Amino acid sequence: MNDFIVQAQGIQKIYNPEKTSEVAAVRDVSLDIRKGEFVGIMGASGSGKSTVMNILGCLDRPTSGTVLLDGMEVSSLPDDELAKVRNKLIGFVFQSFNLLPRTTALENVELPLVYSERSNIGRLARMALEAVGLHQRDHHYPGELSGGEQQRVAIARALVNEPEIIFADEPTGNLDSRSSYEVIALFQKLNRQGKTIVLVTHDPDIAEHARRIIRISDGRVVEDRVNENPKNAEEELRKLPDKEAKE
Amino acid sequence: MKTLRITKSAFKSLGRNKLRTFLMMIGVIIGIIALTMVVSAGLGARQKVMERVRKFGLDSLMIRAGGGQTMGVQSSGQPTATLKLEDAEAIKREIREVADISPQLHRPQMEVKYSDKSTTTMVLGAMPSFATVWDWGAAKGDFISDEDVANVARVCVIGPTIQKDLFSGANSIGEMIRVGNVQFEIKGILVAKGTSPSGGDMDNRVMIPMTTMMRRVANIDYITNIKIRLKTAKDMDKAVGSIQALLRERHQISPGVPDDFSISTPTEVTETAEKVAGTFNLFLILVAGISLIAGGVVVSNLMLISVGERRNEIGLRKAVGARKNDITFQFLIEATAVTLTGGIIGIALGVAGSKILEAVTKTPMDVSWEIVVLGAVFSSLVGLIAGIQPARRAASIQPIEALKA
Repeated sequence: MNDFIVQAQGIQKIYNPEKTSEVAAVRDVSLDIRKGEFVGIMGASGSGKSTVMNILGCLDRPTSGTVLLDGMEVSSLPDDELAKVRNKLIGFVFQSFNLLPRTTALENVELPLVYSERSNIGRLARMALEAVGLHQRDHHYPGELSGGEQQRVAIARALVNEPEIIFADEPTGNLDSRSSYEVIALFQKLNRQGKTIVLVTHDPDIAEHARRIIRISDGRVVEDRVNENPKNAEEELRKLPDKEAKE
Repeated sequence: MKTLRITKSAFKSLGRNKLRTFLMMIGVIIGIIALTMVVSAGLGARQKVMERVRKFGLDSLMIRAGGGQTMGVQSSGQPTATLKLEDAEAIKREIREVADISPQLHRPQMEVKYSDKSTTTMVLGAMPSFATVWDWGAAKGDFISDEDVANVARVCVIGPTIQKDLFSGANSIGEMIRVGNVQFEIKGILVAKGTSPSGGDMDNRVMIPMTTMMRRVANIDYITNIKIRLKTAKDMDKAVGSIQALLRERHQISPGVPDDFSISTPTEVTETAEKVAGTFNLFLILVAGISLIAGGVVVSNLMLISVGERRNEIGLRKAVGARKNDITFQFLIEATAVTLTGGIIGIALGVAGSKILEAVTKTPMDVSWEIVVLGAVFSSLVGLIAGIQPARRAASIQPIEALKA
């Protein structure tokens, strides 16, 4: 069995190739991620970290280089095949939650299942909401939920298809610190249960919760280290003053 | 399973933006209302003709004085003095296929008086055979008899409308009325026939013996028309040929000169009416079609705008695993659902409109299940076609582009 969930070799992403205005977002990135890892990808705005995540997550194709997901070459797959890979193997969490408005939490969580071959999608979605502690909110609309709750709905949506790996792009970017720690704590819990997590952030404090930190700058990997002593978000939460107003 | 779930998603999307959904529907609703009413009117007109033919009798034909137009349209301006009572007698005597004949002479507008009341009506000179040929006799009293004709009797049979207008429903048999300058004794009241398919009141008439009509009222020696009943409807073509030859001979018409009479048969009436109705319907269906196309254009444009507004949603759906076809399918379903719903509303309003129009204008409208099917099929088709371009555009959106909010 393949031990690696992600194997990326020499990936490049160049916008406007063959033009004078060509921009290299990713110059040369090679990295492997083992199953069960919790990787933090760090970098400043414009460093190319999100582009790397999008390529690894099959949302985008590299200009050159190869990406293997669970041993399968995906960088040259046609759109519909990529959609299938995203549906089965990957869960996404975005900075701005990307929940469908005027659609209940439950229906939002069901969305990936709509495009799968699975049945009994309501029950699976309720289980996912329960896993993020929101099972009592399943008929609420996004507008009726706090930012932290919305992001947890988004995490439930990322979980519902039982993917191998979850990509989270600045998941705490729109959240206050309490909600941020709650979300990170949830990721840490999922990671303990065996899920591979790739967390993209510009915030060093958030990145310190990962067990491995990759730093990207100017489209290249400039640092790749094991975080010997990752922070525990549960503890951070306990340290926060009780009265801190929730959103 | 997946198809069903995407269909459900499509319906939910429509529910989320009710105003847009409603705006998309309007054009289709109007188009389908027009289509429903046009087709109802067309079928109604057709039914009207059929009813007319059926009432006239499939085994019957009509000879009118004067040539030219065969279908009901008479050149009423100049009186045609060519058709004689003797022609009718000759037809009955010499044409084997003929069962019976009813020669008639009518004056459309004559004043009829009873004491101080008066009304305007059609006065019709007829033979006793009228009752059998038209299947229309006296409901009360007696119809015109052979003696009446022989004696040039001043008796009449009146329609129920006259009975009502001049006698307010009281017994009128034995009373005297004045037609023109002649006094007539009422001997019977006609069976009520109601409104004719063309809208005229068939009960507003006074019938008198043919001889009395010719000698005492109209003072002429010719008649206006002859209705002929054949022994069997199968012999229609043969009988028409024989009658035509006989009349041409009797009227001494040289070859190459047109007839001075016209013969109309049930098939001829039906065919001409269908031709006229067909042209009319084609035009109206064109109008309905254009409004449906306009409705489709509106749906297509609003859908394109909607795709633009929903880039984020489409990107997300693709990110979590929707394939191109899934997105295409969803948008086609949305477009079709909108237009089909509009179509159903249009059919309902169109049917209601047809009924109202029928009640108000007395135009017969025939609402049938074919219209419902036609409306549903057309409206779905409009949605399907209008949805193609927006659906394609939606399906081509890349997830990565759409998620860059």
